[in-house]
Amino acid sequence: MAANSRTLEITVISAENLKLDRKPIKKNSSVTVRPDTNSQICTTEMDTEGGAYPRWNEKLVLDLPAHSRSITVEVQCKTSYGVRTVGTATIPASDFVGGYVPEGYLHFLSYRLRDNRGERNGIINISVRMKVPEIYACSSSTTSSHSRMGFPVAENNNFGGGVATGVPVWYGSYQKKHY
Amino acid sequence: MGGCFSDVRGGKDAVGGALPRPTEPNAKNDGAHNDAIEFFYREHGAYPLFTQLELSFSASKLLDLDVTSKSDPMVVVYLKKNDGKLEELGRTEVILNNLNPVWIQKVSVAYQFEMVQNLIFRVYDVDTQYHNVPVKTLNLRDQEFLGEGSCVLSEIVTKQNRSLTLTLKGKNGHGGLRNFGTLTVHAEETIASRSAVEIKFRCAHLDNKDLFSKSDPFLRISRTVETGGSIPICKTEVVDNNLNPTWKPLCLSMQQFGSKDTPLVIECFDFNSDGNHVLIGKLQKSVADLEKLFKEKSGVNFFIPSSRADHEKVLKGQLFVDQFCEKEQFSFVDYISSGFELNFMVAVDFTGSNGDPRKPESLHHIDPYGRLNSYQQAITEVGQVIQFYDADKSFPAWGFGGRTANGTVSHCFNLNGNASESEVVGVEGIMAAYANALRNVALSGPTLFGQVVNRAAEIAASSLSSNNNKYYVLLIITDGILTDLQETKDALVRASNLPLSILIVGVGNADFKQMEILDADNGQRLESSTGRIATRDIVQFVPMRDVQSGQISVVQGLLEELPGQFLSYMRSMDIKPLTFNAAAQASTA
Repeated sequence: MAANSRTLEITVISAENLKLDRKPIKKNSSVTVRPDTNSQICTTEMDTEGGAYPRWNEKLVLDLPAHSRSITVEVQCKTSYGVRTVGTATIPASDFVGGYVPEGYLHFLSYRLRDNRGERNGIINISVRMKVPEIYACSSSTTSSHSRMGFPVAENNNFGGGVATGVPVWYGSYQKKHY
Repeated sequence: MGGCFSDVRGGKDAVGGALPRPTEPNAKNDGAHNDAIEFFYREHGAYPLFTQLELSFSASKLLDLDVTSKSDPMVVVYLKKNDGKLEELGRTEVILNNLNPVWIQKVSVAYQFEMVQNLIFRVYDVDTQYHNVPVKTLNLRDQEFLGEGSCVLSEIVTKQNRSLTLTLKGKNGHGGLRNFGTLTVHAEETIASRSAVEIKFRCAHLDNKDLFSKSDPFLRISRTVETGGSIPICKTEVVDNNLNPTWKPLCLSMQQFGSKDTPLVIECFDFNSDGNHVLIGKLQKSVADLEKLFKEKSGVNFFIPSSRADHEKVLKGQLFVDQFCEKEQFSFVDYISSGFELNFMVAVDFTGSNGDPRKPESLHHIDPYGRLNSYQQAITEVGQVIQFYDADKSFPAWGFGGRTANGTVSHCFNLNGNASESEVVGVEGIMAAYANALRNVALSGPTLFGQVVNRAAEIAASSLSSNNNKYYVLLIITDGILTDLQETKDALVRASNLPLSILIVGVGNADFKQMEILDADNGQRLESSTGRIATRDIVQFVPMRDVQSGQISVVQGLLEELPGQFLSYMRSMDIKPLTFNAAAQASTA
């Protein structure tokens, strides 16, 4: 992991009401995710059965560079004429970073997709979680190791905030970094 | 007569096996619930039972009122209704000669989150013959009164171990110098099983029943009953024009399918918009059989009952199980009794359209004879229910649209007049702060909720840093139409993936049509100005004047949805009750 970049876990869950040329798409849609710095692209598998309401439930892992301000999610469809873009959504980093929500929170987010003419074309549903960097692992259990501080609480490894040990040190120091 | 067109799209929806996706509005997936049954109850004026509880009792140091032996105690449980009348809910058995009895017989109570359920427990020493006499027929006037205790049902449910010990008092609450002893009440959910299975079905080679296109298949699953015949428990959505369909995963709770060995009838129909769906094929399998199909990755053929006596025609069409997984589903009571809390917050409309509070027509008029105005009613009705689920009873209370002491109009000022602390204690605290604010804040405008929603979202988000067992409920009471609908939508969308529900009560006579857009019950998810879409439907709106006949109050209708919203958040975030490990071990002991 490069210095000053954070790891992002994005689960591409599903999409709704996808159309090409005003008609619902039949199959073979997939999703690409990349930060606005275009440093890395991740793609899901193709959904062959859901048609205009595909489900992927696929987790992608992305390195988000420090100066990146957003990620772009694009739904594509493989047709007999080639791969066509169904719609795109831009997700500002502020939607899953900062604010009052602790790091490591699993954000369920949904966005309006727009096609290349700027018209609305469906919705994309994802979940995003920033992985807490290894050096600060003492305050969180988002990594797979079951290290626990203090008294045992919920048997829930997904959730990074399960230990009430006061204000996590990393949260404040993270805030000082600006994208 | 209404529209003459049936809602075909509605007819194609899946029923009964809904999966709790975080993006699905109103996805209620509690084991005891079924949408169809719920509608049935509502139409008939009764309320869908959220969950059935069984109360068990023990007592210590009861009065000894028998001369040559000890008292023979029995407990009678009453529900105190709104009009003060007592309705008997049940009785325990009589225990011989014991001042520290542990009764076996339990009393069932329907737990209804949206109501304050006042329970009264009376302990009697049974002096008359009770051998072989049904306890119900014992005449209480012939027995001796040993003591009385009372509490609200939610007080028991929010305790760890769901047990509450009450000090018994004399009739009419007089303690006097006598020590009446104590009574311990313990609540257990009747629904013991928390198992559920998530199954993804697929079919291949189905027969074509449509003339000019292919079949539009859906599955209907029924449970067989002992008397013969079967009861449908769920159906999948319709997949158009496809003889090899895959449906969205179904989630079935053990309540629905009985046991893993109970035979289930699975029928595949071709959907027709005129309602005459044609049976493509059927088969009978239990949940255990379906699990086997999944493991072996094999299919099973449908058959069609033939007109010839017991000959069944085996079809080419097959059913496959592409996914099968067992899950545990915790109930609302599981979470609450393990330490989860509902935190109440309230925001009051201080815009000028309410009218000058000094005038009796004003919605903010405080009646000298004590009759509550609409604002006070809404605060009391919601607050009185939720306060039991809030551990410290410390509620943030805000006003919006008013001109405060420093001369500026604020859209989120503390009702208690304090510059830094927004919290007040108890429902009485909110009422006092409200009355006080009416004297010190001038009504102004415009009507904007955005800041209050943002503030509530901040509080909900901040709590996540230390724990995840708090769920927040914001009550907004307003008389009017929003000035900036988009600002409010933006705030609501930003808050939609947090542990927060927003209840909006509309008072007065305004046309609240715009508010119904926020409620998103028509399926349209809220969209912010930046293109983000609400993750869940966290808003509910109801106009106060919609008083329905019958006993349900408008506000109770709002509250009924809360446990479902709470559960859908917890399940989607995979948050389990705090002590479920310990509880699971205890229940198997």
